[in-house]
Amino acid sequence: MLHAALRAFGALLLLGATSTAYAQSDSVKIGYAISRSGPFAAGAQVTQEPNYILWAEQVNAAGGLSVKGQKRKIELMGFDDRSEVETAVRTFEKLMTADKVDLILPPWGSGMNFAVAPIANKHGYPMLAPTALSRKLIDMKLPYFFALLQQPDKMMGALIDMLAAKGAKTVAVVYMDDLFGLENIAAFDQAAKAKGLKVVERKSYPLGVKDLSPVLRAIKEKNPDAFVGITYPPDTFLVSGQSKEIAFNPKFFYASVGTAFPLYLQRMGAGAQGVLGMGSWSKTLSPEAKAYFDAHVAKFQKEPDRWASGHAWAGLQILQQSVEAVGLDRKAMRDHIAKSEFKTILGPIRFQGSENASIPGTVSQWVGGEFEVVWPPGRATATVLTPKPAWK
Amino acid sequence: MTLWFELGAAGLIIGGVYALVAVGLNLQYGLMRILNVAHGEFLMLGAYLAYWAHLLSGLSPLLFLPLVFVALTALGIAVHLLCFRRLAASTPEVEAFEARSLLVAFGLMFIVQNLALLAWGGDLRGYAYLDRPVDLLGLSVAANRLVAFLCALGISRGLVVLLRATLVGKAVRAMMQAPIGAELVGIEVRRLHPLMFGLGIGLAGVAGALLSMVYEISPAMGESYTVTALIVITLGGLGSVGGSLAGGLLLGVVETFGTHLTNPSLRMLLSYGVFIAVLLVRPKGLFAR
Amino acid sequence: MSPRRAAALAVAGAAVAALLPLLAGDFVLSLALSCLMYVALATSWAMFSGATRYVSLGTSAFFGLGAYACAWTLDWLPWPVVVLGGAAVAAAFAGVAGVAILHLRGTYFAVLTFGLSELTRHAVTYGEKQYAGTVGRVLTAAPSNQTVYLTVLLIALAALLLAIGVRASRFGLALNGIGADEMRAETLGVPTRKVKIAGFALAAAIAGAAGAATAVRWTYIDPPAVFSPFIGFQTVLIAMIGGAQSLAGPALAAVAFSLLAEALRLQFPYIYLVLLGLLLIVCVLYLPRGLATLWTRA
Repeated sequence: MLHAALRAFGALLLLGATSTAYAQSDSVKIGYAISRSGPFAAGAQVTQEPNYILWAEQVNAAGGLSVKGQKRKIELMGFDDRSEVETAVRTFEKLMTADKVDLILPPWGSGMNFAVAPIANKHGYPMLAPTALSRKLIDMKLPYFFALLQQPDKMMGALIDMLAAKGAKTVAVVYMDDLFGLENIAAFDQAAKAKGLKVVERKSYPLGVKDLSPVLRAIKEKNPDAFVGITYPPDTFLVSGQSKEIAFNPKFFYASVGTAFPLYLQRMGAGAQGVLGMGSWSKTLSPEAKAYFDAHVAKFQKEPDRWASGHAWAGLQILQQSVEAVGLDRKAMRDHIAKSEFKTILGPIRFQGSENASIPGTVSQWVGGEFEVVWPPGRATATVLTPKPAWK
Repeated sequence: MTLWFELGAAGLIIGGVYALVAVGLNLQYGLMRILNVAHGEFLMLGAYLAYWAHLLSGLSPLLFLPLVFVALTALGIAVHLLCFRRLAASTPEVEAFEARSLLVAFGLMFIVQNLALLAWGGDLRGYAYLDRPVDLLGLSVAANRLVAFLCALGISRGLVVLLRATLVGKAVRAMMQAPIGAELVGIEVRRLHPLMFGLGIGLAGVAGALLSMVYEISPAMGESYTVTALIVITLGGLGSVGGSLAGGLLLGVVETFGTHLTNPSLRMLLSYGVFIAVLLVRPKGLFAR
Repeated sequence: MSPRRAAALAVAGAAVAALLPLLAGDFVLSLALSCLMYVALATSWAMFSGATRYVSLGTSAFFGLGAYACAWTLDWLPWPVVVLGGAAVAAAFAGVAGVAILHLRGTYFAVLTFGLSELTRHAVTYGEKQYAGTVGRVLTAAPSNQTVYLTVLLIALAALLLAIGVRASRFGLALNGIGADEMRAETLGVPTRKVKIAGFALAAAIAGAAGAATAVRWTYIDPPAVFSPFIGFQTVLIAMIGGAQSLAGPALAAVAFSLLAEALRLQFPYIYLVLLGLLLIVCVLYLPRGLATLWTRA
C-alpha cells in the first residue's frame, strides 16, 4: 500500500519537475528566469522584471505582438532562479529545449548572463541583456548575445572627462571587490592617467561591509576635489550616509549604482542634490521616455531606475521591432539586430558585435529632485551642478 | 592620536550593533540548545515593522520599539509552541535535538523570508532617521548608530539584571545549569521555554527595528545578521549574555583596527580568522565561566 | 542487504542512468545532473558526518575549492585530471584543516566548519584579487554537456561505492565507534584522530570532484557562487532528511528533494520556497529519523 503510494508520488514528482502548465497555443511564448529571491533579487526586481511584465501587458493591450504584421498575444513564462547560476542555467535549458519557447529574455547581472549567454547562443536565441557589464563577456564574441549597457571603459571615460572638464585635479576612489568593481577600477585608472587626474586614495572593500567611516575619514583628510565610489546599492547608501555624518563634502561626489534608484532621493532627501552616478536617461529625455515612466509608476506604484531600467525597456523595444520586421525566425532576428539601427527611449541604438555602439558613456546627477543626464553635453538633460552643495 | 580614538569609537559602535543582533540568539541557544538560524529573518520582520510604522504614522520609529518587541515575542512564543515543543518532546538526546532543531530553523528561514518577499517585494527600502552627526567628545558619530549602541548596552544590562535579580531569571539560569534538576525543584520548564524563546525573537525584532534606522532593509537582509550573531555568541561563550556583549564589541574593534592597519578587503578574513582562532583555543568562548 | 549486492545495485543503476543522454534532452539531463550532484554530496557527507556525528557545514568550502581548482587548470590539463585535481585539492585542504579542528564536537564543530567555509571563500576572493587581478574566472574550454553529465554520474557512483566499502570495513566500524562513544573507541585502541581526518578528507574529495565537474556549466565562476553556504546547508538537509546513518537514505532523499524542489518551483513559481520550508518542518517533526524510517524497522 505504502509502496504503491510512494510510486504514485514519485511519478507525480517526475511529471511536475519536467512540465509546466501553459494556456493557448497560438500565443507567442516568451520565457525567462530571473532573480525573485536571493541577493540578486533587489536589483532584478527594480530594474528588470517589472519592465518585462509592463511590456507584455502594454503589447497585449494593443492587440498583441506584431509578427510580420499579424498580431499575436504574448504569453510570459517567468521563473525564479533564486540568484543561483545552476538554477538559471537549468531553467533556460528547459525553456529553450523542452518548452521550445519562441523568445527568451535575459536574467539579471553579469554572472548570470555569463552562464546563460553561451546556452542561448548554442540554441540560437537572440539575447538582449540590459544588466550585463563586462568586457570579458563581450569579448566572447557570441553572435546571439547583445549587451545594452555601456561598458566600463565608456562609463569611466565619461566620468573622468567630465571631472577634468569641470576643473577637478585630485580624486579619491573606493571600489567593490567583485567583477563590476574590478573592471570599472581598471577603466578608471586608465582614463585618469590619460587625463592627468591625480588619484590620492584608492581603496577596495568587500561585499557586505557595514562601516566605511574610517576609510572615508582618511579620504577627507586628503581633501580631494572629487570622490568616486564604484559601489552597489547598499554600499552607495553607506558611503553617502557616512560621508554626511563626517561632513565630507568634496566638490564632486559620485557613487555608481543605486544613485539612480528612487530610493536614493527618499533616503537622502535634500542631501541628494548634486550627487553623481551612473544614469542614462530621465523622463525629460523625450515624450516617449515620459510615457514609459508614467506607465511604470501607474502599474507598480514605483518609479523605474534611471540607469538600467531604461536599457531594459530599450531592449524590449528592439525585440519588438525585430519581430515586427522579420517574424519569429530567430536566425533572421539575430541578423536583423546585428545590422539595423533601432529607435528606443534611449535614442537610436546600433550594435557592433555584442556591444551597444550608439550610446556613449554618461554621467547623471540629482538636480532639483530628478536624476538628470549631465554628461556628455550632447545628451544632457540638465547642466552639471558644481560644486556639490554640502550634505543636509 | 585622535585617529586611534576615532577608530576605537567606530569599532565600539559597530560592535554594539553586532552585540545587539546576537543577544536574542544567545538566550535560545544557551537555554534551549536551539540554534535558530532563522534569527536574522525575525530581525528582518522587526525592521519592516518599524519601517511601516514610521512610514504610515510619521512618528519616530523609537516609539514603536515596545510594539515591535511585544509583537515579535508573541510570534516567537507561537513558533515555539508549534514547532519546537513537539520536537523537544520526541527527542530527548541533546545532540539529536540540536541537529533537528537546526533543520526546523532552516524551514522557518525559508518560510519567513519568502513570505516577506511575497508580501513586500525584493526591493531595498529605507528611511532616514537621526542620521545627523552627533558630537561625542570631539568626534562626530551618527546619532542613529549611537542610539543602537546605547540600546545594545541597555538591553544587555537589562537582561543580565533580569537573569540575576528576578525569580524568573533565577529559574532560567537554573534551567541553563541543570535542566533536569530544575524540573525536579518545581520550575515550570514547559511554560518558561516558550517564553524565553519568544523573548529571544522579540529581542531580534528590536535589533531589526533599531537597524532599520541605520541601514536599508530588504527581505534578504537577515542572513548576514544571523552569521554575525553566530560569530558573536560563539566568541563570547554560548549562553553568556555579558559574554556576547563583550564578544560583539571585541569583534567590532578588531575589525575596525584590523582593516585600517591592513586593507578593508581583509575585513571578512579578519573576522573569520579571529573567530576560528578563538574557537580552536577556547572553544567555550572568551568569557564563559 | 550485503555490501556486494548494494554495490552491484549501484553499478546497475549507474549503467541505466548512463543511457540518459541518448534518450533525453538538455533539460532532463540537467535535472538528472543536479540530482546526481546531491546524491554524491549527501552520500559522502553522511559517510563521515552521519557515522561520526561530527556535523560538518564545510561542504561549500570543498565544493568551491574543487571548482576553483578546475578553473585554474582547465586550460592546460585533460578533463579527467582536472576533476581529480579538484578532489585532491579539497582532500588536502580537509586533511590540513582536520588536524586543527577535529577535536571539537557537536554544534561547535558545525559552527567552526561554517566559519571555515566562509574564511576559505574570503581568502580565495582576496588572493585572486591581489595576485591574479581578477575576482571571477571564465571557463571557456568546457567539455560537452554529455561529458559533464557522465562525469557527475561517475562521481555519484564513486561516492556510493565508497560509502558501501567504508561501511563494510574496519574503517567504517571505527567511524561508527567514534560516533557512538569516542572515548570508548579510543580506549579500545582506535586511532581516532587519524580515522577522523581520513574520513573528513574522503568526504571532501567527493565534494571537490563534484565542484570541479559542475563549475564548467556556469561558464563564469566567482567566490559567492561556488562557495555559497547554501550548497553546504542543502547537503546537510538532504542527508538528514534521508537519514544520516543510513546508506540509501541520503541518495534517495537527494533525488526526491531535487525533483520536489524543481516541481514546486515550476508549478508554483512564486510560493514554492514557502511550501518547501513547510514540508521540511513537517518532515522533521513527524519523521524524526528521516525518510529512512519508511523502510527500516530499526
